[in-house]
Amino acid sequence: MTRTIGRRDFIKTGAGAGLTLALGKALAGASSAAPLTKPSVVGVGIGEDYGKAAGKAIALAGGMKAFVPKGAKVALLANVQSRHPGTHTKPEVLRTVIGLCKKVGAQRIDCLSWQPVKQWEDTGLKAVCDAEGVGLRLFEKDETLFKPVPIPKGVALKEARILAAYFEYDRLINMPITKDHAGNKFTGSLKNLMGLNSPENNRTFHKPNWKTDPDDIAHLDQSIVDLNQVVKPSLNVVDATEFIVSNGPFGPGQIFTPQKVVVGTDRVAIDSYCASLWGLKPADIVQIKKASEQGLGLIDLDKVTLKEDYYY
Amino acid sequence: MSEIRRWGPALALAAVLLAGAWTAPGREGQDTLRSLLPADGTIPGWSKDGDPQEFVGEDLYTYIDGGAEIYQEYGFRRVIVQDYNGAAGRSVSLELFEMATPAAAYGMYTFKRSGQGRIVPLGSGAELEDYYLNLWKGRFLATLTGFDATPPTIEGLLAVAAAVEKNLRDGAGVPGLVAALPGEGLKPQSVKYLRGLLGLNNVYPFYTARGLAFAEAVKGDYEDGASLIALDYGSAEARAKAWAELETSIKSGDRFKKTEVRGASLPLYLDGRGRYAAFVEAGSRLFVALGPVPEAVLGLAALAVR
Repeated sequence: MTRTIGRRDFIKTGAGAGLTLALGKALAGASSAAPLTKPSVVGVGIGEDYGKAAGKAIALAGGMKAFVPKGAKVALLANVQSRHPGTHTKPEVLRTVIGLCKKVGAQRIDCLSWQPVKQWEDTGLKAVCDAEGVGLRLFEKDETLFKPVPIPKGVALKEARILAAYFEYDRLINMPITKDHAGNKFTGSLKNLMGLNSPENNRTFHKPNWKTDPDDIAHLDQSIVDLNQVVKPSLNVVDATEFIVSNGPFGPGQIFTPQKVVVGTDRVAIDSYCASLWGLKPADIVQIKKASEQGLGLIDLDKVTLKEDYYY
Repeated sequence: MSEIRRWGPALALAAVLLAGAWTAPGREGQDTLRSLLPADGTIPGWSKDGDPQEFVGEDLYTYIDGGAEIYQEYGFRRVIVQDYNGAAGRSVSLELFEMATPAAAYGMYTFKRSGQGRIVPLGSGAELEDYYLNLWKGRFLATLTGFDATPPTIEGLLAVAAAVEKNLRDGAGVPGLVAALPGEGLKPQSVKYLRGLLGLNNVYPFYTARGLAFAEAVKGDYEDGASLIALDYGSAEARAKAWAELETSIKSGDRFKKTEVRGASLPLYLDGRGRYAAFVEAGSRLFVALGPVPEAVLGLAALAVR
């Protein structure tokens, strides 16, 4: 079922009522969803059937059961930025994740987004939601639908504005596609969380002179890292099957096809792995480097337990 | 009230004329972006699918969320997006960007091409990649995307590109700075024309913005593996000031390390990625020669200022 939700709808459904009280608890719940596997285990499923590759990667990372307990309400955050090839999360990957969440007994599964329905249709992701019978909750870009979340450790960003509906869930599965980005050179699990933050707040990531002033340039990447301090997915399932390595994030661009799905809880390790897939040095990607320095994960892949395998 | 009646028709006419001038993308004052789209019946086997979408100025962020900045850096006015359907069930999406100047359109074109595409004789330049095609002419950049690389889709890309190109009338040459790249050994399709730091960071990151507030720049790759970046600051004074800033940053940062090469006519640096870098000033321009072989880097730097 697809619903586009405006401010009135949100209040009417009662989802917004009592939100302020619930905020701290819900955030703590979603953020402290402690995985049962070691944080820096990264599972990589490989193969031309991307759905099966996703299943293999999740199994290698510990299995969905380790991240989504029975009865959980699960929010999925896919990337639907553009319908151009190699720019959006593949429908097969989404289908597998939904299927595994169902299998472990998730009570509720919804895709959350403030992108328009057309992009969900054009990318084939809406069809998956419809076929699997999970919710597709699309929100208007209305600031009242986002809630302020302080970032005590924030260096550049002191307050995020997170989609209020997110706090109705107790598990978040972050589902980006890794690809080129003209602004940051790379995008993956860290940057995808901007999809939960309000568009208006996201604009503050770009300071007036962010293209010419070194301090302002650093502000953009630091803001991404700060956002990641308060939104901590229970699991990241990164589509590295076919993605653009030029003209990102929108494309069209040159496609690189490693046929991999990369899964784990350590966003820094995952992004480091994905960046290295196409010859980038993780330390050269400012958001990865800063996230590592600020304790969000491991940039050194030699210290990561990497489990790669083909599906059979 | 009577004044309004008296001037009403004249004001309405003025409004129409002003609107026409504002929306004139092709020849000043004549075309709208919609009028530049190939009409049904002009491309055998292909027809429009749905209505076009248009985005003006800052609205580009709505269309290209997270990726509009590079267009804005070059100078973006507006874009129209129209899908076309072919008989074989294929589809092609046409994005027609109107940029602020021909240089901006050329720059965005060079930024988007891979350098390995097939040259197509259309407009002022066109290249066909695996499943997409970029074309520039005058202030316009057309990006056409097929959703696979099958022969019917490629035929569609070429047909729609040819049809839209016919509607773009005012051509233009490449910016003068491109001629600053010595021609010998230059790979023409590698040329990237840049208007700001965002573009530069994508072709060669210096990991600083200090001293890099150039007016325009161009980068080209050479057959021997070397590359040359020409940064133009508008005046010798501005260039001298910028180079002082950049040199300080290079010397104090950990990205570049000065290295000794016997017989080198210029200071050489290693950039941490196995490439040598030489910097040479000339008038309003700063040249940066890069490459894995010091002799080739020094040779290119010398050639740049000859």
